Amino acid sequence: MAARVHIDEDMCIGSGECVRLLPAAFRIDESRGISVPLDGAQLQDLNLLVMAGHNCPTNSIRVVADDGTVLVASAH
Amino acid sequence: MVATAEEGGSRDLLESYSATITFDTYETVREALFNPSLSRSFDKRSYGHGNIRDGVVSITHGPTHRARRRVENSQFRPDKLRLYERVLFPTVLGELLDVLIDGEFVDIFPIGELVSVVLAARRAGLDQDDRALDQLRTLVRFVDVFSQGSAILDARDPEAVRTLVYRTYEEFERGFVRPAWDRRAALIQAHRDGRLDASHLPNDILTVLLLHRDDPHIELDDDGRVVRETATYLQGGTHTSAQTLTNALDLMFEAGDRRPDVLGLVARDRGFAQRVVHETLRLRPTTPKIKRRAEADTEVAGVAIPRDALVVLDAVAGNRDPAVYGPTAHDFDPDRTLPASVPRWGLSFGAGAHQCPGRSVAGGFPVPSDLGTDDEHLFGLVALMIQAVAARGVLADPDHPPERDLRTARDTRWLHYPVRFGPRR
Repeated sequence: MAARVHIDEDMCIGSGECVRLLPAAFRIDESRGISVPLDGAQLQDLNLLVMAGHNCPTNSIRVVADDGTVLVASAH
Repeated sequence: MVATAEEGGSRDLLESYSATITFDTYETVREALFNPSLSRSFDKRSYGHGNIRDGVVSITHGPTHRARRRVENSQFRPDKLRLYERVLFPTVLGELLDVLIDGEFVDIFPIGELVSVVLAARRAGLDQDDRALDQLRTLVRFVDVFSQGSAILDARDPEAVRTLVYRTYEEFERGFVRPAWDRRAALIQAHRDGRLDASHLPNDILTVLLLHRDDPHIELDDDGRVVRETATYLQGGTHTSAQTLTNALDLMFEAGDRRPDVLGLVARDRGFAQRVVHETLRLRPTTPKIKRRAEADTEVAGVAIPRDALVVLDAVAGNRDPAVYGPTAHDFDPDRTLPASVPRWGLSFGAGAHQCPGRSVAGGFPVPSDLGTDDEHLFGLVALMIQAVAARGVLADPDHPPERDLRTARDTRWLHYPVRFGPRR
């Protein structure tokens, strides 16, 4: 099962929690100090994507399954 | 000294509340920490009107806080953490302990402070001489004052703390921040003129603050705010580590009858040492009761919270919630089994946007559920500290009782902790 991954750039503080957990799915854009999803993030382990979403300190990560089910809803 | 806002605004200094609401389970405390309507801004006055923490990242809220964290979090990336944990700290730790453990009986708490302050000062952006004990002791004295300032909501004599903090900021700025600032300003200018590559700029908080100071979103146009921000990182990087070292020893001494091997195991096994640190943080959070102010009407776990309410988050109770940590939640058990989603340190580093930026510095990376660690894993500086002290043969000193810090109601804090050193382990 694939998923769409989105980061709310206004809310992200670049803690790097998602990068530490899943470096194949996220990276830090140091010029802006925020995390961005990598190409191919949607193909990563769904459980880890969900965990990254739940661990985000600002609830900035939204993960939506390919059938439209919202697995992690960003808070904003 | 108490100022109030004009019509329509929140009161600048919140001294009485529309309600006081306490949460004391793991899930409710965690939910509250993630709630964006709950802030740490109890005092919104200017520095000149009595707010000793005016503008520091810990009490900013919303867009300003996020912009500041984006800049400062760059100093907590894994590559920098590895440099500190694997290269810089082992040398500093060994050299200082050789000098400071100068007899059979010593007070371990100030030693923990001196060891911790070296790297905290470097990360903050100060240029002290790491081998000059007089400079390190001066920095520790500042940390002690700034720690009282950061806990002013729980101070027994807030006005005395305020006066002391004002005076100490001046001394800190004159003796340490200004020389470091001038050196960094010259380097940044050289970089902007094309004479210095960015890779040669210092890696520290003061440097990134000066680099980004023109960004209005981070609200650092006032020099005093830069000084206070630097002080915040110096204090935060020193105080928790020293207190946790001391609390870890206290818990291990208490556990001595049940686990006589615990200090030997710490000396031999860094993974176990890290789990001891996490268990210590869980049982003895340096901020036992986290406080928040409701900036607007909001709700946590179905409980309505009116604007200007005081929200008390009982971290001690949350960290011992049997629904999360099981029937042995009150016990000191570094080997406890937990699911990957539950932090071994509980809520002691906070959570949400204000989660402690230095969490991985002090505590390392989360321990995997199967306790296995790979080459990328970091154990945290406090694990290295307790391991070094355990290897040197630390023992309890029953003839000289430790002394808690009674200047604050935060009863997990120490002032003195005498220990004895026996044969090396």
